[in-house]
Amino acid sequence: MTFRKQAMIILRRDLRIEGRSGEAMFITVPFGLVALFLIPLALPLNTELLSTIGPGMFWVVTLLFGMFITFRQSAAESSAQKEQLRMLGVDPAARFTGRAAASAMLLLVFELIVAPAMIVLFAPAAVPGWLAVTPLAILAAAGLAVIGTLAADLTASLRTRSALAPLLVAPLSVPLLVPAAQGLESIRTKNGILIPALFMVAVVLAVAVIGVVTAQPLEETT
Amino acid sequence: MKPRYALLGLATIGMVYGFSWASRMPGDAVQGESARIISVHVPTAWLAFLAFGMTAVFGIAWLVTKRAKLDHLAAASAEVGVLFTGLALVTGMIWGKATWGIAWDWGDARLASTAMMFFVYLGYLALRRATPDPVQRARRSAVLGAVGALQVPLVYFSVNIWRTLHQTQSVRPDGASLPTETLISMLVNLAAFTVLYLGLLLWRADQLRVEEARLAQTHLTPNAGAAVVPPKLQPGS
Repeated sequence: MTFRKQAMIILRRDLRIEGRSGEAMFITVPFGLVALFLIPLALPLNTELLSTIGPGMFWVVTLLFGMFITFRQSAAESSAQKEQLRMLGVDPAARFTGRAAASAMLLLVFELIVAPAMIVLFAPAAVPGWLAVTPLAILAAAGLAVIGTLAADLTASLRTRSALAPLLVAPLSVPLLVPAAQGLESIRTKNGILIPALFMVAVVLAVAVIGVVTAQPLEETT
Repeated sequence: MKPRYALLGLATIGMVYGFSWASRMPGDAVQGESARIISVHVPTAWLAFLAFGMTAVFGIAWLVTKRAKLDHLAAASAEVGVLFTGLALVTGMIWGKATWGIAWDWGDARLASTAMMFFVYLGYLALRRATPDPVQRARRSAVLGAVGALQVPLVYFSVNIWRTLHQTQSVRPDGASLPTETLISMLVNLAAFTVLYLGLLLWRADQLRVEEARLAQTHLTPNAGAAVVPPKLQPGS
């Protein structure tokens, strides 16, 4: 079976499990919306301030709650499952790719739900067109998914996993978060998103390559 | 004499010489006496970059050769890097307060990215502490070390990518923008801090080797309580 086919099977499996458990969509997404709702309550009643910080808050919520999507319990494989996949000859790199792709798709859905909520709650001064924002949203979802999947592999089977994995992901995601925020600002000022988008592509590719190359050695440990 | 002591001695001599040059530096017209901090701030920041770069190199070398010594060197390098990143942040904040009027500016890309690099390697050290098995620990931290090293060029070039409060590099291929005394003091300390890094690296790597051997020994010997067996109760007693 080809690498692509294996990755597609893992992707379909992860999405099917999420479809049955609803962990990301019915728990993490509402939790993210609650966070977005709480932020204005913690700030002085200033519509102008809220419209300024709205897009930034969208990325912060995406980062913090997107992490929980990549670490969802339903995506964590037990040792027995991994053994089975190994015996079936599934390439660890294909497994990494499939899991990261599934997380990226779920993150994209998360962004699609949270973005309108942000627009309604924060009323940003200039709402950028969907076409301009789409590449940034896709790249942010892909980047967060590969970093999260890698962190999940690094912390697999550790007792402190739930605290350690976010500690690894949050600072590593900064090279994604900063250009994403700059990209939105560039759209607002009509400067184009090419530079921030290229920067994000470089980060996503670098982490994805490391994740794929080290999938085999990391597989041996668990 | 062990090489690490020779290196630490050499570093001390170098730093004394470097600081003597720093005391001869002319006070800056704008920054005043606070400009002297550059002779400590730049070498600490350089050492942080070097240490994190070497963490990645040692980690990748471990993945290839599986030699335990390389893992100890990677861990030791990360620890030294975290220490000196912390020092670079503190000295930078002291200088910022004196020069810019504020110790921390969120709009400054160099400050924010350095702090994030600091947290990445705190995560690296936390991952090592959380992983009890030595092989698993070495493997996982080698991968994280490689990913973490991506932050190093980002932090270094942040002043060029985003034009913010922090000035660009003082020494560039097109020449240095510093007075001679300042430049000499900075370069001498740069060399001295590099030697200090080597000394600390060897020292800490040796400690990690001993700690790991001791832990392995502890796992081999049965617990003291294992010698105590509960008394067997006789039927009817």
